[in-house]
Amino acid sequence: MRYTSTTTRTVITVLFLCTVAYNTWAGDKPTKPRPPVTEEAIEKGRVIYFKRCSFCHGLLGDGNGPAADFMDPRPRDFTLGIFKFRTTQSGELPTDEDLFRTISRGLPGTPMQGFDNELIKNGLTEEERWQVIYYIKTLAPEFSNPEFDPSDKVVSLPATRPPYNEETIAKGREVFKKAKCWECHGELGRGDGQKAFDRTDDWGFPIRIRNLTHSWKIKGGTDVEDIYMRFSTGINGTPMPSFVDSLTEEERWYLANFIKSLQHRPTEHTVLKVKFIEGEIPLDPESPEWQEAEPMDVRMAGQVIFAPRWQNPSIELVTLRALYNEKEIGFLVEWDDPFKDVVHIEDREFDAREISRVGAYNSYVNPFEMVPRELETFRDSVALQFPVKIPEGTKKPHFLRGDPSNPVNLWIWKSDLHNQGKPAVEEVNARGPQQPLKVQDPDSQQVQSKAIWKKGRWSVVMKRPLITEDRKDIQFVSGRFIPIAVNAWDGSNGEHDLIMSLSSWHYVFLESATPVKVYVYALLGVILTGLGEFWLVRRYR
Amino acid sequence: MGRFRIGFFWTSLVSFIIIYGLIKWSIPFISRKITGMPFPLPVPGTLMFMYMVLAVVAMFLYITFSEDGLEDFLYPVRRFLKGEYGTVPRGVVLAIVPLVVGWQIYDISIPKISAPVSLRIQHPSSNFPKKMEALKNPVENPTDEEIEEFIEQAKSGEVGFIPQVMADIERWREENPDVHILSFIPTEPVKRFLEELRTGRVDRETARSALREKNLFEGRALYAMNCRPCHGDSVGGDGPMADGFKLRPINFTDNGTIETIVEGYTFWRVSNGGPGLPIEATPWDSAMPMWRLNLTEEEMWKIIMAEYDLAQKTPRIPEKHEAEKE
Repeated sequence: MRYTSTTTRTVITVLFLCTVAYNTWAGDKPTKPRPPVTEEAIEKGRVIYFKRCSFCHGLLGDGNGPAADFMDPRPRDFTLGIFKFRTTQSGELPTDEDLFRTISRGLPGTPMQGFDNELIKNGLTEEERWQVIYYIKTLAPEFSNPEFDPSDKVVSLPATRPPYNEETIAKGREVFKKAKCWECHGELGRGDGQKAFDRTDDWGFPIRIRNLTHSWKIKGGTDVEDIYMRFSTGINGTPMPSFVDSLTEEERWYLANFIKSLQHRPTEHTVLKVKFIEGEIPLDPESPEWQEAEPMDVRMAGQVIFAPRWQNPSIELVTLRALYNEKEIGFLVEWDDPFKDVVHIEDREFDAREISRVGAYNSYVNPFEMVPRELETFRDSVALQFPVKIPEGTKKPHFLRGDPSNPVNLWIWKSDLHNQGKPAVEEVNARGPQQPLKVQDPDSQQVQSKAIWKKGRWSVVMKRPLITEDRKDIQFVSGRFIPIAVNAWDGSNGEHDLIMSLSSWHYVFLESATPVKVYVYALLGVILTGLGEFWLVRRYR
Repeated sequence: MGRFRIGFFWTSLVSFIIIYGLIKWSIPFISRKITGMPFPLPVPGTLMFMYMVLAVVAMFLYITFSEDGLEDFLYPVRRFLKGEYGTVPRGVVLAIVPLVVGWQIYDISIPKISAPVSLRIQHPSSNFPKKMEALKNPVENPTDEEIEEFIEQAKSGEVGFIPQVMADIERWREENPDVHILSFIPTEPVKRFLEELRTGRVDRETARSALREKNLFEGRALYAMNCRPCHGDSVGGDGPMADGFKLRPINFTDNGTIETIVEGYTFWRVSNGGPGLPIEATPWDSAMPMWRLNLTEEEMWKIIMAEYDLAQKTPRIPEKHEAEKE
């Protein structure tokens, strides 16, 4: 009897602890009562701010810390009292809970990261987050003016909401058309609306309209509730309005469902399977054969490895597909780019010598001063990179342009050449980022290409014979893992040369026909098992 | 009402399924509750296989423990094979079993395409210059002269800073013209130092701590400018660029990273980056820059100091005999 009760008690305790552990993970909502606003709490907040926030937001909170010049979007200026992500009506101050949410989970797609110490070990505890909020509120006089108290201007989240399904998504698509969301966000949500480029925010900085399909860059949160909140409150300081007056509650839910449905979930595999087809490799990116090849999404980062460094890449995802036949291999390369840039003015390229030396002020590129981020200045471009030789074992060239003893072969597609009707792909070789690219001889240039830009997306096909005469070319053989990496440039984001996005090594694998022995083994298995059964049945008859 | 018995064969089969279910679903479920993380910890395939082999062996021993047990177990099997449960079910089962076996063999023997695994040594020492082992951070260990100089600077209100932080300090100075230049640092050691400056009796140890705070401030600024894009605000290896690199930036808060190495090693890694690694550490996959091309030694030491402070870790102390050799 005693034994049982002890067991029961243990089980109950364990279950209780589990429940507690589960609930405390919540994150962006406070779980404990907040500490009172005292001089001491503000003073502690000041120290936390100094240690953790001031390098971007500035010692005065004016958004001008030493790291601020190199990042876009720029850090928030706390002295103005304008905050983008709120649950309050358009134009109002945020609630304390709004600030708590932003500090806890950060703003994805910006340099502002989450500081929830339940998720990031050396983040801030709930108490520390409150303390720093109390300090930040002393920086803008608006917060101490009772006239601006936002507590009665909160947009509440309705208790009932329509389910997330095909029907409500379709209704949301209608709302997207009706409310003219596409004017800025583009028909497919890629941020390619016509008005997109000339917009600036209240701080005078150019607005980058979010690509709604890239969920990891959506600042205000990716849940249906978060999306609903964005067009119910608007985003202060930006052209994003509140739709409280123009759309009904229900319409906003439908719209939120539709926006949610646009979010793309990147694939996670790192081997691009090249499918064998009979007949020609299509040069046309819209040819139906491409849809039969399995896509591989490649995540890109800014080129932060070698000066000039770049932490504001606009291309963060490139999707690859590949096909081959007896003679040729072809790649379809696709990425979202809201603006089609097809000219290139070499005179406006950035001279990186000054920022590349030892002891330079900073080796990162200042996106507001050093590079022109304008239309019709730099070309859009993409490059596929392979080692010159398929590596034996795991040894590879470095993924940024190789190294002196391990060269790489790049196929660089350039939109300006494409626009002029010239062969648009240059085959080049590189031995590390410190040396200039070496363009191959004209008779070694064998990559053919065709490209289209449509609704905010480039689709580029590049194809080449599997095997070439050139010793500086990668040779494609089936059954081998061939490293591949991607470089990409968005011209209107000021990108050219090493100011670009890049990926780590992935692999290309040319699929071969299933070996006959696989079928033989399987058949043998079936026959032997059948014979065994026959023997058993006879024995027991 | 008599007790319902399903027989030894069925008991064994049901136990087998229950054991499989426990390992397959309960362990990940419980792990999720225990760790509190939003994802379960699945049981690896090989471990799963081992557990199931153990279960089969245990059941075999149990069944064959006595002659009766074996009889009891085989009874329904024999009846089934004789067709006493009906010839149609027998036919169906006898047809399915070989097909399942064939499908399994096909599944095992068909070539699978998955990226080749490359093993990686995280802290390679094969090309680490031994003389760097006992290197001490000069910024963390200032000489008495340097401390005296700092005191003199503070007394005259002319403290020197790295150019990267000057603009921000100057703007702060315009807003706060009447206080000491170091008052923008709101931490205790600096407050104590400023208090002692006012009374005129400055203790060297107080000054040392204040100088440390000043250097940490500069180190944090340099970290935010140079390292944060990959290693993150909270040194968690989760900066805005981190998702783009397959070999993710190191999380300095993890045990077994920067606390297991000596400062000289950290300095060597920061200086030479990925390209400075030996082959066993797959230098071609590392996005770590060769910082000696862009940062001064002093800047690197300040960053290292701030990095340990942000991670709340201390470097490993060089072993005695290494230091003595010098």
